Amino acid sequence: MTDDDLRARLRRADPAQELDPVAPSRVARLLEETMTTTTTTAVRPRRPLIALAAAALVLIAAGVGWLIFRPQTEETPPMATVQLTAPGIQAKCVEPTAATLAGRADFAFAGTVTAVTGGQVTLRVTHVYRGAAADQVQLAQAGDSSEQMMGSGKFEAGKNYLVASAEGSMLICGYSGEADAEGLQGLYDQAFA
Amino acid sequence: MNARFEALAPALIEAVRRYLARRTDPATADDVLSETLLVCWRRFGEMPGDPLPWAYGVARNCLANAERGRRRQARLFARIAAIDPPRASVDGPSPPDDDLGGAMARLRDADAELLRLWAWEDLAPPQIAVVLGISANAASIRLHRAKQRLREELRKTGTPAGHEGSTEGSRP
Repeated sequence: MTDDDLRARLRRADPAQELDPVAPSRVARLLEETMTTTTTTAVRPRRPLIALAAAALVLIAAGVGWLIFRPQTEETPPMATVQLTAPGIQAKCVEPTAATLAGRADFAFAGTVTAVTGGQVTLRVTHVYRGAAADQVQLAQAGDSSEQMMGSGKFEAGKNYLVASAEGSMLICGYSGEADAEGLQGLYDQAFA
Repeated sequence: MNARFEALAPALIEAVRRYLARRTDPATADDVLSETLLVCWRRFGEMPGDPLPWAYGVARNCLANAERGRRRQARLFARIAAIDPPRASVDGPSPPDDDLGGAMARLRDADAELLRLWAWEDLAPPQIAVVLGISANAASIRLHRAKQRLREELRKTGTPAGHEGSTEGSRP
């Protein structure tokens, strides 16, 4: 029996020969799970996300509470301020799509950064694509990982940004970033048309 | 780096998935596939130009870890019960090759694994060497011997080897 015969015979007994190719959706999901897993946590990335969402909710509650109960001493009209958090994780992402953006975002706006102090970014809202009208958004920036946002990767005073969020947490992975980052404006126009 | 990994990953996933399907049960294969992918991603910087044998090597270690786990024990018992009626799915549409299955089962694990990597994963000795973490020379020699031993076993079996064949493919 030659090598080729032997190999052919072994191949006929290959248990994987009838295995269907993996579905593209499964590949995408696997890839997303893998690449969004933080570099410090173990295999399952779920808990940090829950903690993040919880932290975001607390922030929103605090923001709303402050809006309602703050002393009305200033002369300026009250501004509708939205509080968001930006995750500081090292995220790796799959290609963003308008459908995902439209499906996930509950708040999306265009704005200009007016101030960056410590971990806090303040944006003046110029246009709301989705969600309640707001004049100003305050964003707690947990880290400045370059993978997070389209464009330069962080918030800088004076620049224009497109930001989408879900449940108080900023959407990263190509869904938020500098307004002139390649393709981002188009994505927003398509998603919120 | 992201784009490069994303471009490589589908082929990697497909190959590793097959590698695992040949060696363990579906539930463990699923777990180990995600884990393997994660390790590949974290160690992407170390990935050589020919990533597949390296990825098989990662999968091999992940599988070995998983199989040390206690959950594996429970699954194995369930499988043994399920194996009792011979499983057609292992052999696909072609008639089961009991002689081959029996011969493979009688080989040493290391020999059988060399032959599987050669025939099923379609690897040449230098690539097999990467998977197993041995020298190319050693892989070449051991593969040659394993082939001889398999031929020897096949010659010995004149009669079908019964149900031993159904354990093939489940060995780590």
